[in-house]
Amino acid sequence: MGSFIADILDWSEVWGTLIPLAVWMRHKEQPGYLRPVVLYIWFALVVNLAVDVIWKLKLVIPRPWNSNNYLYNLHSVVRFYLFSAFFIRLQQPVLKRLKRVMPWVFGLFVVLNFSLAENFFNYFNLSSRLLALEAGILLFYCLQYYFYKVKEDQEIGINQPDFWVVTGLGIYVAINFFIFLLYNELSSYDIPFAVDIWTVHNLSYVLLQIFLAKALYESRRR
Amino acid sequence: MNHAEGNIKLLVLVGISVMLLLFVSFLLIFISTQRRKFKYHKYIQQLHETQQNLLIEAAVKSEESERLRIAEALHDEVGTLLSSSKLHFQNIQLNEDDPHNVPLYTKGQELMDEAIARIRGMSHNLHSSILQEFGLFEAIRHFIQQIMDEHLAEATTALDCRPSEYLGENEISVYRMVQELVNNLIKHAKPKKIHISCVNMDNWLVLTIFHNGKGLTQEEFERLKFQQNSIGFKLIQNRLILLKGKLIFSSRPDGYFIDIYLPTERTSIDGV
Repeated sequence: MGSFIADILDWSEVWGTLIPLAVWMRHKEQPGYLRPVVLYIWFALVVNLAVDVIWKLKLVIPRPWNSNNYLYNLHSVVRFYLFSAFFIRLQQPVLKRLKRVMPWVFGLFVVLNFSLAENFFNYFNLSSRLLALEAGILLFYCLQYYFYKVKEDQEIGINQPDFWVVTGLGIYVAINFFIFLLYNELSSYDIPFAVDIWTVHNLSYVLLQIFLAKALYESRRR
Repeated sequence: MNHAEGNIKLLVLVGISVMLLLFVSFLLIFISTQRRKFKYHKYIQQLHETQQNLLIEAAVKSEESERLRIAEALHDEVGTLLSSSKLHFQNIQLNEDDPHNVPLYTKGQELMDEAIARIRGMSHNLHSSILQEFGLFEAIRHFIQQIMDEHLAEATTALDCRPSEYLGENEISVYRMVQELVNNLIKHAKPKKIHISCVNMDNWLVLTIFHNGKGLTQEEFERLKFQQNSIGFKLIQNRLILLKGKLIFSSRPDGYFIDIYLPTERTSIDGV
């Protein structure tokens, strides 16, 4: 029973993406600003599937191909750019220039970090620095969204798709900021605890996917 | 477990908890601020609407009292003067030897009669005493009868429904709307047939004007009511706001329908 639950949690990053995709299959017509989100869900399904398959077949696949850390790095970069596109497409007039500059700054960081400080294809570790920075910037995007909404006259409602996307993403990055930041440290000191804490990440990831599913559903209703 | 390892674990757990707590608190504060702000805006909007309704009501009332004043002046002063003139005119001793006098006298009498009839008609149009004494439906019937006599259109009514008590003294506004709409029909739609009926539907009294002329669509009405020279439609719109009613235009192959939805009680305002 314990192993069954563990298996479900292990694969949660894969089946989690199927929740919003099931909604999307029924309601394919989505507004332009949600397209990066839909694209992200598809991308996440493919990458997470590859991540989990590599992990489960770690002993079968030869080195260095049996490490999935570079896929987490890739996932982080793509997630950042797609959610940045989502926030830019929302056309909120607040901090417009900053939001347009941020992807370039992040790109510069990625290039400098992986050419000077870290190896993108590191066999043993994912890039804590990259994932934490990504979470930090996305959290900033989420907070500025709420600040703008406070100024807006419209009532915040459970039927606004962008609200569900931002809230889901906000909860996800708030929970995972410290996990990402200290994951490398943790995995070198206490691997069982690192695995346990990654389960928290997985659960928050499923929550994010549920919120994205709700956003896609609400957008169709509107 | 060494000290550094313990510290990192603690840092991760505290970090997750604090970040989550901060984010959720921020979210809750944001939602409650937004709701409060929206409620306040809604309250201001309601206040604005109430004020607008009061202004419309005042405008409609002053228009009606002005109509009444003109109607009374026409009926009591001009009408009386014309009647008295007619009496004097009738008592003129004609020189019957002059063959030109008789047709001129007869024509003068005819013109005098027509002037008296027109003044009476105008007075009744401006202020319907039938509405005051016999109610909305009888006033509409009488108005339609007049239309039939004057314009040779086939005009019928079937007004057997329950009148709305909620309308009260605002019945005059409904009457004016029907008057304006029917006059517009005769002027622009040129129908051969007009039929006015009514029906009680839940908390609404629906007055339907059917005609077989060149009718309007809902879109055309929505566009016309914002045009500067559509005074009649603007007056209709103001009265609808005052009554909290709705005007729906629709068509069928045999003709056009104008449905006036009027609330029969206060609760039916958001209905249709």
